[in-house]
Amino acid sequence: MHNCVPRVFWAAALAAALALDAGAAKQTVKIAYIGPLTGGVSANGIGGRNSADLAVRLRNADPKARYRYELVSLDDECKPNIAVQAATKAASDNSVVAGVTHYCSVAAIAAVDTYHKFGFPAVVWGAVLPDITYRNNYAEVHRVNGTMINQNDVAAKFMTGLKYKRWVIIHDTTDYGKGHDKYFTEYLTKYGGQVLGRFGVTADQQDFTAELTKAKELKPEVIYFGGLTPIGVRIRSQMERLGIDAVFEGTSGIKSDSYIDGLGKLAEGSLSFIEGAPWEKLPGGLYFIGKYAQQKYDQGPEAYGPFAFTAAGLIMDVIEQVGPNRRKVIEELRKTRDRDSIVGKISFDDHGQNVVPLITKYVVQDGKWVVWEDSEYASGRRKLK
Amino acid sequence: MSALPGIASIAAMALYAAFFLHAESQAQVLGLVALAVVGVPVLARVGWIARTATSLEAHPLAARSASVAALAATIALFHDQHFVMLMLASVALYSVACLGLTLQFGYAGVVNFAGAAFLGVGGYTSAVLGPHVPHALVLLIGGLLAALVGSILILPILRTRGHYAALITVAFGILFRSFVEVNDALGGPQGLQVKGMNLFGWELNSPLRDLSFYANYVFVGLALAAAAFVLVRRLERSWVGLNLDAVRLDETAAAVFGIDVARWKILAFTCGNFFTGIAGAAYAMMTGFVAPNSFTFGDSLILVSIVLLGGLGSAWGVPLAAGIVLIVPEKLQALQEYRFLLYAMLVIVILLARPQGLIARPAREYFPK
Repeated sequence: MHNCVPRVFWAAALAAALALDAGAAKQTVKIAYIGPLTGGVSANGIGGRNSADLAVRLRNADPKARYRYELVSLDDECKPNIAVQAATKAASDNSVVAGVTHYCSVAAIAAVDTYHKFGFPAVVWGAVLPDITYRNNYAEVHRVNGTMINQNDVAAKFMTGLKYKRWVIIHDTTDYGKGHDKYFTEYLTKYGGQVLGRFGVTADQQDFTAELTKAKELKPEVIYFGGLTPIGVRIRSQMERLGIDAVFEGTSGIKSDSYIDGLGKLAEGSLSFIEGAPWEKLPGGLYFIGKYAQQKYDQGPEAYGPFAFTAAGLIMDVIEQVGPNRRKVIEELRKTRDRDSIVGKISFDDHGQNVVPLITKYVVQDGKWVVWEDSEYASGRRKLK
Repeated sequence: MSALPGIASIAAMALYAAFFLHAESQAQVLGLVALAVVGVPVLARVGWIARTATSLEAHPLAARSASVAALAATIALFHDQHFVMLMLASVALYSVACLGLTLQFGYAGVVNFAGAAFLGVGGYTSAVLGPHVPHALVLLIGGLLAALVGSILILPILRTRGHYAALITVAFGILFRSFVEVNDALGGPQGLQVKGMNLFGWELNSPLRDLSFYANYVFVGLALAAAAFVLVRRLERSWVGLNLDAVRLDETAAAVFGIDVARWKILAFTCGNFFTGIAGAAYAMMTGFVAPNSFTFGDSLILVSIVLLGGLGSAWGVPLAAGIVLIVPEKLQALQEYRFLLYAMLVIVILLARPQGLIARPAREYFPK
């Protein structure tokens, strides 16, 4: 914030002067993109960069746009210390108005303090850790993609909607598993489901007979599992051996082909919920993929590309409205309600978290993960237990 | 021999550094890199670098004053630019850590491929103790804990040599990372927040006048680096340094002459880790966050590459190499995903041209003139 107020004032004054002079060339406004461009998850980072770049190019091609936009891309290497560096670089540069920031949770959670310090509006496009928006109440930080909170909200609502009442929860004892346990229980209680028992298991546990025997006595209708594929496979197969006749409801952690490979026929009817959706299912997916293909980028947008595209678009929409002024951009971003985007409606809550993020429900049908709405389970031809 | 060539060279380097830090566009950065890659060998060919070196050696006071003046000018020039200040502070703190490594494998010949783990020990100390303990003490404890952890690691290192000792440190680095990753009390994979530094009531995260708040960390970092530098140089010149050199050059011969090899290795390793721990503690307070991702094997290699690039055992080379290793990749951000490719090529070119490192350690003078 230091020193930036007068310059932002000048920028705003300049913008006003330019707006008066209708014939003048468009003012250039910079926005930042930060993601992992090198290292193990660079495919996602480059996909996000290309998607944000696509949003900027489309906007610049639009004659009605008030400004010309320039994307400044920075690499956070998926490391917290480098993320703070990149965040400082973007946020301390007064010519950069806002940022589309971070795929990795660990990078995002480290950088939010920097955004707050510099009063830099940031829209997270890929990191899923709830704390990024919820630990502090930083007006600067927003997020267009969902978190495990939203995932469990959707999961609990959906399952209670199918008239299930009695759950047993099994979760691994990592942050991931414990988080799922916490939020699923919270929403299940809200929607009227009942948790009969819960079991924490370690992430490398082999034998679940003890837990499952107790679970069987409780006669649940659904076994909810918060954890990753390897133990998901073991639990599902040992359920069968013990003769537990319940629906197996997983989380994003088991939505993988290896889950089906590991279980074969037993995988049939398992459920999973994940943030985002295949592009075919996005409201604007076809439009996005079409435009993306036209630009001939070397690499695909990856799963979170549409969110980076959306975040960049949202920032530019707001700048079009209020001008390239960080404070005003923050105020206006906060007011985002029911705004249409290619990933569906966007509404920020008082922590800047998108509360209607896209969650997709999947069910295993004939050895494939099928979107619930397209499955024979939804059409009534098959039945879950 | 006059002091002029030395002072002129330091001034030129400061000017170059200022231009480099200021450069934004891809063309400017690449132009400056190319200038250095072409210019430095030309200067070496015409004998300017040798003249600079003799001039600086002949006038140590002038050399130090000119370096301090150059640094002060750089700081004054960039005082309100947060990013530049952050990078300068990082260079200073990494220099502290790498001076520690210089003690270890520059002098005593004890390899350490787990530098990042010791940085991590310091960093996590800051995260855990920061809210409860005065921060000057936290820095000290960070260093002491790193030394303590190192004193366990030294046991297997003393029993092995060469590649085997190196492998042990590699394994330890991986062990450290896995340990913090699975440890819930230490934040697991998501890491921990660290409070900003507060030294005797001086809150470093609040800016002094119109300086960037990172300038405060530059001052602290430079103070630490200066202290480490002086200490390492004194050690090198003293009989301690003589013993360490003997141990590195030939363990058997050293033992034959009655030098307790294990003792000197322990001393160098422990002192080095103490430096690294302090640097890690300060660095964590500056960036405000620690997570296992920052302390990977790759980060240890960065520390090692600073020491090798600067010149093994060369204390002057460390800050220069730290500057190159930390700032060049940042400046190459414009190249996006290709930046490490170019950066790696640059390092290889430097080492091809100067296999002894940028500023090779001069031969010891046994009989001062």
